[in-house]
Amino acid sequence: MAHDYMTEGEVRTSEREVIEISIPGSVDLVVLARFTAATIGARASFDLDEIDDLRLAVDELSVSFGPLDADTRLRYTFLREGDTVNVRCTREPSDEGGDGGTGHSERDLIDWQQARELSAQLLDELVTTHGREIAHGRSVAWLTKRRGAVAG
Amino acid sequence: MTSPPQPADGALDLPTLEVEGELDLAVAPWLRDQLDALYVGGADSIVVDLSAATFLDSTALGVLVSALNRSRERGGRVHLIVQEPQILRVLTITGLQDEFALHKDRAELQQRKGEQ
Repeated sequence: MAHDYMTEGEVRTSEREVIEISIPGSVDLVVLARFTAATIGARASFDLDEIDDLRLAVDELSVSFGPLDADTRLRYTFLREGDTVNVRCTREPSDEGGDGGTGHSERDLIDWQQARELSAQLLDELVTTHGREIAHGRSVAWLTKRRGAVAG
Repeated sequence: MTSPPQPADGALDLPTLEVEGELDLAVAPWLRDQLDALYVGGADSIVVDLSAATFLDSTALGVLVSALNRSRERGGRVHLIVQEPQILRVLTITGLQDEFALHKDRAELQQRKGEQ
């Protein structure tokens, strides 16, 4: 169990929580990752600005993969340890098979080189550390944000 | 949730686009289409009213930067009406707050234009 309920309106969270979500590669579902990030940030006792920063940073992890398409999924793993949040976003092949119905407008209309450069600037400032790697043949973007920490 | 951006009401004498909600990857292609339409009549300067926008990520910002470059090529400017702290923070982090003409509301934009 992730938490013990105390008095009304007060929640005592455990020191360590892991939350995973997996979404189809559809741009209008990335909002779910932002929503989850805000919830995790609140549970890490981030202030409102830090929660906003974490929401944006998690969105930028998604951007780092470039155009999304229907034959991939994004798996987000949120790990909160005390006042530190780690997020790993893995681009995975989808088992469901795509219908090719998404991704084309973003692919054609977005300057991805420019978006990645802006995204890197933002992540440098928004989180404590971030990076990308290949793990088990899959592309992973990750970040760490600690409450009260100066970014970078 | 992401709200579909809304078209401008034409209250300003520059081509104006008014958007609301969260400006992210899902909205960026639409935003680009709408900004392209503002330039069809040969405009050099445009206004993007972000008063009702609550979120701006790098893809939507990139679209605004493309508009900025387009206006500059024509000798114009891109005016942004923005109050949302998160959006101002994005502009500051990326060093773009001085590249766009920022205004807190339409009245301030009209006043500054009147002073020019």
